[in-house]
Formats: sequence, C-alpha cells, structure tokens
Amino acid sequence: MNRRGIRWGRLALLLPLLAILLVGVLMFRAQGGFAPFKVPEEGSRPAALDDAQVEHGAYLARIGNCVTCHTTRGGTPYSGGRVFQSEYGSIHAGNLTPDPETGLGDWTLEEFRHAMRHGVSRTGPLYPVFPFANFAHLTDHDLDALFAFLGTLPPVKAAAPENVLTFPASWRHGAVLAWRMLFHRPRTQADDPSKPAQWNRGRYLVDGLGHCDMCHSGRGAMQSLPVEQYMAGGHITGLGWYAPPLDRISLERWDTAELADYLRSGVSRHGSAYGSMAEVIYTSLQYLDEGDALAIATYIKTIEPSLSRRARARNRGDLVTTGPASANGLLIYQNHCAQCHGDDGRGRGLDYPPLAGNPLVASASAVNSVRLVLFGGAAPTTEGNPRPYSMPPYVGRLADDEIAAVVSYIRAAWGNGAPPVSLDEVRALRRIPLD
Amino acid sequence: MPTSPSFLHRLPVLILLMLAAPASAQVGATASGTDAIEIPAADAQPAAVPVPDLREQLAACAICHGEHGEGATEGGEYFPHLAGKPAGYLLAQMQAFRDGRRLYPRMVYLMQYMDDGWLGEIAHWYAAQPAHTQRVESTALDAAARARAETLVYSGDPERGLPACAACHGDRLTGVEPGIPALVGLPTDYLIAQLGGWITGARSSKAPDCMADIARRIDPVDIRLVSTWLAGQSAAPGERPLPAGSVEPPMPCGSLTAAHDPAVTTEASP
Ligand code: HEC
Ligand code: HEC
Ligand code: HEC
Ligand code: HEC
Ligand code: HEC
Repeated sequence: MNRRGIRWGRLALLLPLLAILLVGVLMFRAQGGFAPFKVPEEGSRPAALDDAQVEHGAYLARIGNCVTCHTTRGGTPYSGGRVFQSEYGSIHAGNLTPDPETGLGDWTLEEFRHAMRHGVSRTGPLYPVFPFANFAHLTDHDLDALFAFLGTLPPVKAAAPENVLTFPASWRHGAVLAWRMLFHRPRTQADDPSKPAQWNRGRYLVDGLGHCDMCHSGRGAMQSLPVEQYMAGGHITGLGWYAPPLDRISLERWDTAELADYLRSGVSRHGSAYGSMAEVIYTSLQYLDEGDALAIATYIKTIEPSLSRRARARNRGDLVTTGPASANGLLIYQNHCAQCHGDDGRGRGLDYPPLAGNPLVASASAVNSVRLVLFGGAAPTTEGNPRPYSMPPYVGRLADDEIAAVVSYIRAAWGNGAPPVSLDEVRALRRIPLD
Repeated sequence: MPTSPSFLHRLPVLILLMLAAPASAQVGATASGTDAIEIPAADAQPAAVPVPDLREQLAACAICHGEHGEGATEGGEYFPHLAGKPAGYLLAQMQAFRDGRRLYPRMVYLMQYMDDGWLGEIAHWYAAQPAHTQRVESTALDAAARARAETLVYSGDPERGLPACAACHGDRLTGVEPGIPALVGLPTDYLIAQLGGWITGARSSKAPDCMADIARRIDPVDIRLVSTWLAGQSAAPGERPLPAGSVEPPMPCGSLTAAHDPAVTTEASP
C-alpha cells in the first residue's frame, strides 16, 4: 500500500544535490529561512488571565486533540509517550504537563508559540507528525489560552521514550531540515472577506486546530502533504484506515446540519464513525460547540474536489480480480448482513448504516469495508449516541475468499459500481495490528 | 496504537505451565456431552431482567460471548461467559481492556471508544443474565493432587504467603458482589492464561493488585493443578455471587476499594 513514498535510500542520493548552494539557499528560504531556528530564549511565563481563558484553552486543546497524541493508552492525560509508527521507525510525543524537567514546566509563552508555529523547540526541529503546519494558523489569543490551560495541569514527571528511527531519519537536525526544505512551505491564512464569517471560522478550525488534513489529504513523497491533494482522501500512516475525501461532491449527501450533528455524535443516517474517525470523535469532536460544528460542516461542504482524486479513482487497474462469483457474494450477504443492512442495502435509521449509495463503501480503497467485516466495530459513545450499535466480526466465521466475495458484492450492488476487492487485499488486512 | 502482542507475551508462561504438568494429574479425561457447557436455549427469556434488552446493540459481543453472555468455545479458544458475573467486575474488565491494563487486541479494539456510562450499562445487562456455574471439563486428579488443590483453595499456603482462594472468591467459589468473579464454570486453559497474564503483565488490575501478588506466589506446578481442579467444580445451577460484604479479603485489592458501582459513571477518559 506504500506506493507513495520515496524511500530514505533515495534521500541519501538527494542530499548531495541539496548541497548545491543555490538550490539549497532557495529551499532553505522557502521553508522559512533562519527565523524558525531562532527559538526564543528570553520571555515570560504569564499566569493565566482568568478562569475563562483556561476554560477556552481546555476547549481548544480538545479540538486540537492534543491529549490523544500526547497520552499513552491508560496513561495520565497529556503526560506523553504515545508512539507513532511509520516506515522510518517510531516517534514519541512528549510530555505537555508543566513538569520542569520532562514537560513544559520551564517553557516560556514565547517558546510555546514558536514551537507551535514553526515546529522548532529546544528539542530541535520537530518531526512533522506534530501538526505544526496546522497549528501555525492559530491566533495569539488561542495559543495563549492553550498554554494557560496546559499550565494548570498537574505536573507529571515522565520523559518520553527515545525514538527508534533508521538513519538518516534518526538524525533529527539533518533529516527534519532536509524534509522542511523539500516540503515545508509556511502559509498563514487570513480570513477571506468574500466569504461569510461562519465559513472562515470553519476553515480556521479545519486547517488549524482540527488538522483534518493530516488524515483526509493524500500524501506525497516522504509523508508530505502536497497542496494539490488537499482533502483528496488518504491512507493513515501506521494505522491502515482510509480517510475519505472531504469535498463538495463527496459530502453532497449530507445537509449542513446533519453533518454538524455527525461530527458531534458519530452517527447519522448516512453512516457512522469507525476506526480513526471514531477516535477523533470520541476524544475530540464530540466536544465541539454547536456553532463550531456548523462552521466546520459549512466549510468542508465547499471544498473543491482535487484533480488528483479524480485521477486516482480512474487508476485502479492494479487489482487482480480473482473474483469469486458475485452470486456467492449475494448469498453471503443475505445470510449474514441483510438482517442489519437490509436486502436493499439501505440500513436502518441511525442504528445500521446504509451500504447502498454510500461513497465509503464504493470508494477507491476497500480497506475500511474489509476491516469492518473482518473485525467488526462500533461507533464511539457520545452524548448524542450513548448506546452505539455494533457490527460483528466475521474473521473465523467467513473464509478470506468469502469475505472478498461479500465485500465485492456490496461494492458492486445497488448501483455502487465499484470494482471488486481481491483475495490478497483481504489476506493482507487480516494481519493488521488492531489497536 | 501501541501494538499489544498479548498472546506472545503470554506464550512463554503458557509453555512453562504446560510443561509443568504435574505427574500426578491424569489429564485427558475431559468430559464432553452431558455435563459440559450449559447454554440456555437461544430463545429462553432470562428471569426478570431489570435492565433494557441490549441484545441488538451487543450483536458484536454475541458472536464470541453468546447471545446472553453464556460463553463459547471456538477452534480451541475459549470466549469467557459474562452472564451472571458481578457487574462491578465486568465493568472493571472492560475498562481494563480500554485503558491498557488487560491486553487482548480484539477486545481492546472493541472497547477503546466506549465511555464508562455505556460500559456500566453493558455490565449490568450481562450481570442480570442467568449465572453459569457448571463445570465445563473434568480431569481426573489423583488423591494427592486433589488434596493439594483443595488445601490451596480452601486454606492457602502460609509458607508462600498465599491466602485461600475461597477467602475472597467465597466458600462456594461463586464470587462476591461487586468485584470478585466466580472461579467455577471456567476451563483450565482460561484459568491458567489469566493467572499467567498476571505474571507477565498481560493482565493487571488496579493497585494494589492482589491477584498479581497471588499469581506470582503460586508455584507454576500448583497453578496448573489448581486450575485443573477448579475447572472440574460446579455450584448450583444459576447460583449467584455472594452479596457484597460477605468476605473480608485477607489482603488489599485495588479493584475492590475503587468505586465499584457502575451506576456511578465518570466522564469518558480518553
Ligand atoms: C497527530 C498527533 C499530535 C497532535 C494532535 C498534537 N501533537 Fe504535539 N507533538 C506530537 C509529536 C509526535 C511530537 C514530537 C515531535 C518530535 O519529537 O519531533 C509533538 C511535540 C509537541 C511539542 C514540542 C515538545 C518538545 O519537547 O519540543 C509541543 C509543545 C506540542 N507537541 C504541543 C501540542 C499541543 C498544544 C497540541 C494540541 C493543540 C498538540 N501538540 C497536538 C504529536 C501531536
Ligand atoms: C486520525 C485521522 C482522522 C482525522 C484527524 C480526521 N478524520 Fe475524518 N475520517 C477518518 C477516517 C478513517 C474516516 C472514515 C471512517 C468513517 O467514516 O468513520 C473519516 C470520515 C470522516 C467523515 C465521513 C465522510 C463520509 O463521506 O462519510 C467526515 C465528515 C469526517 N471524517 C470529517 C472530519 C473532520 C471535519 C475532521 C477534522 C476536524 C476529521 N474528519 C479529522 C479519519 C480522520
Ligand atoms: C448486527 C448488525 C450487523 C450485521 C449483521 C452486519 N453489520 Fe455491517 N455494520 C453494522 C453497524 C452497527 C455498523 C457501523 C459500525 C461503526 O460505525 O463502527 C456497520 C458498518 C458496516 C460497514 C461500513 C459502512 C461505511 O459507512 O463505511 C460495512 C461496509 C458493513 N457494515 C458491511 C457489512 C457486511 C458485508 C456484513 C455481512 C458480512 C455486515 N456488515 C453485517 C451492523 C451490522
Ligand atoms: C473476537 C471475539 C470477541 C468479541 C467479538 C468480544 N469479546 Fe469479549 N472477550 C473475548 C476474549 C477471548 C476474552 C478473554 C480475554 C483474555 O483472555 O484476557 C474476552 C473477555 C471479555 C470480558 C472479561 C470477562 C472476564 O470474565 O474477565 C468482558 C467483560 C467482555 N469480553 C465483554 C465484551 C463485550 C461487551 C463485547 C462486545 C462489545 C465483547 N466482549 C466482544 C472475545 C471477544
Ligand atoms: C485477596 C482476595 C483474593 C484472593 C485471596 C484470591 N483472589 Fe482471585 N480475584 C480477586 C479479585 C478482586 C479478582 C478480580 C480482579 C480484577 O478485577 O481484575 C480476582 C480474579 C481472579 C481470576 C479471574 C477470573 C476471570 O473470570 O477472569 C482468577 C482466575 C482468580 N482470581 C483465581 C484465584 C485463585 C486460583 C486464587 C487462590 C490461589 C485466588 N484467586 C485468590 C481476589 C482474590
């Protein structure tokens, strides 16, 4: 599935080229010049202005989902240690509690702002798993509130484990600098005066704190996020879920209010959340206030579909169709699935999602459907959906070729019109780590 | 995201325990048929169910644990029964999967985005189903082995600082509300895997983790012996766990002192 990245081996060839001064200088300037590397040494650590500021910061931290990346399973919130896997190895997110030695306890507000905007701190240039390109959009007002909130957490002494990376990715200063020169193009986003305030608020949340593009955009070489693949849909590194495109066409079936509801509750009559999106809703988006949920829905429904997305949808010749007869798929569907999803594939209200006319089922990548059939799933619990329905796992009850057949069936049936899924794809997904 | 190779964690201990099969136990006479797993008929309505029927929502769980949580065995793997276990115990286990204290990837996967309120309701629902207390296996143990197992279960082993199992799990080993599960009605391999899990860290409970201390104090040979003996015991059909306060635990267990009423829900802890 890793058709995108050039490997580091090739980067090794690129490095001498980068040394060619002129190109080097230009690229260095393009990533922000020297400014990002001047981490402020002076500064202050102002006390929180008032409870309202701390509360605002707590809300922003929810929407930025700092806690999910900066906490291990069952660990003390914000104390760091969660590991991010990629083809280059594993990177750990640090401790954000105000412990002076292992956390942000002796950081100044200036350093915090700087790290969030430029992705460079006393640690050095930070790996782009940390969504600093998104956080760069945040206003001072919001960054200050975040810092004030983090300062109120109980300090926890917890040093993040050492990263385990292959060379040259392991060479923080060199590798991150090279990556920045190749791919990092700082952009600040001013409000677009021709658009309503709600739209601007939505874009601020989506591109900034919400960092939706970290999952929903296509990836270029070395995990970069090329602008032309903005929200074009992408596979999530290390987790194997596919985040669908978010744009005017893919979201056509939702009206704005429904979409806003889904972001907070995790269910709708068009589908319910699972995989990484279930996590995002459980830990973050369910806490959106109504106005912000509507703003996000308003904005994402106006995104223009990217050209590369259309191109990709056409390029699906790579699948070998060892296609088991679709009659077999229909039979399996009737025996195992129709009781919930219906003979007509239309699901049942908020309980069971529709499969007919569902772009996620018909999407270019079948990984999500295959995974749900293999291992089952349940939408996250939220205030709007406190008793989620669940989808049973079929691994062990259906053979791999039967799973390929039934998923191929739902991809083709009811006018979904998507190509079948191969046995190999099912076999590969069976081995995916589950948690 | 951190992968939890729970089975691999467990493997060395399992192998150790299997190898340590006591010469005195004549393993092999496993009963199947008449007194094997007792599964209520699929459409049998459980006696007074004080909680709303959650069967539709819990369709995923039914695949492994049975429609009423009666448990199942598939391809040599045992999916524990949940029916009739104390609600507080069930809640603690689901939280443990979610929060990284009990590693079994397919359970973790299903629990990870469920908050305490919902897990509490699930716990109550399964707790209200008819308890499953009949033995699932019987392996003939010779008199000496039986005597050793009974001593450990009912008197403990003071030399190893090991309290009697019955001191906490109840005289009839049917468990005690709200946090102590029954030891009857479980197969040998599951019992061994749980005790092994406490030794390797694949399973842990809130500190002080009394069961981890106990598992580490029992000799591996005795783990197999006690598990084999327990798997052959039954209580009365449907016999419930003893009421809360029936036992005075001889050592502190964090899972018993922690707030255990699933009705008292806390906010989702991500
Ligand atoms: C997608 C995961 C992710 C999210 C979301 C995230 N972070 Fe991080 N963050 C990381 C990783 C990984 C690192 C470590 C990068 C490195 O070591 O190069 C990091 C590093 C940092 C650092 C630098 C720490 C240091 O010691 O240099 C700060 C500050 C920080 N994050 C704050 C935040 C805040 C505040 C939020 C929420 C608004 C947040 N992060 C959200 C993954 C994340
Ligand atoms: C950690 C990765 C991740 C992040 C971050 C993320 N998503 Fe998703 N999202 C997914 C995945 C995977 C799916 C597909 C599964 C599903 O539909 O539940 C999805 C599905 C969706 C859907 C359903 C689309 C459809 O057509 O059915 C919407 C809407 C959505 N995401 C919006 C957002 C918004 C808005 C943000 C940012 C605030 C966001 N997502 C952030 C991973 C992510
Ligand atoms: C007991 C009811 C039930 C049965 C039976 C069932 N499902 Fe599901 N299915 C669900 C629920 C509930 C969800 C939503 C899960 C979530 O959000 O995590 C779902 C989700 C899905 C999705 C994801 C849809 C999307 O929006 O991407 C697919 C695909 C799917 N099911 C296919 C199947 C197939 C194929 C079968 C038969 C082999 C099947 N289901 C059997 C209840 C069921
Ligand atoms: C793939 C099969 C499978 C599915 C599906 C499944 N479980 Fe489990 N469950 C297991 C296994 C196996 C164990 C024992 C794990 C171990 O050995 O630690 C277990 C353990 C448990 C326990 C602890 C039992 C005890 O006595 O300690 C609870 C409670 C539980 N599951 C609840 C659920 C609920 C609720 C669901 C549905 C949301 C569910 N399970 C779905 C296989 C499954
Ligand atoms: C001090 C009290 C105490 C004693 C003594 C004790 N237990 Fe436990 N046991 C517990 C508690 C509490 C739990 C539930 C742990 C949890 O919440 O994770 C438990 C759980 C168990 C389980 C898990 C059951 C399941 O369904 O997964 C097994 C097996 C077990 N004990 C075996 C034993 C054996 C064998 C002995 C005697 C050698 C023993 N226990 C002695 C308190 C005790």
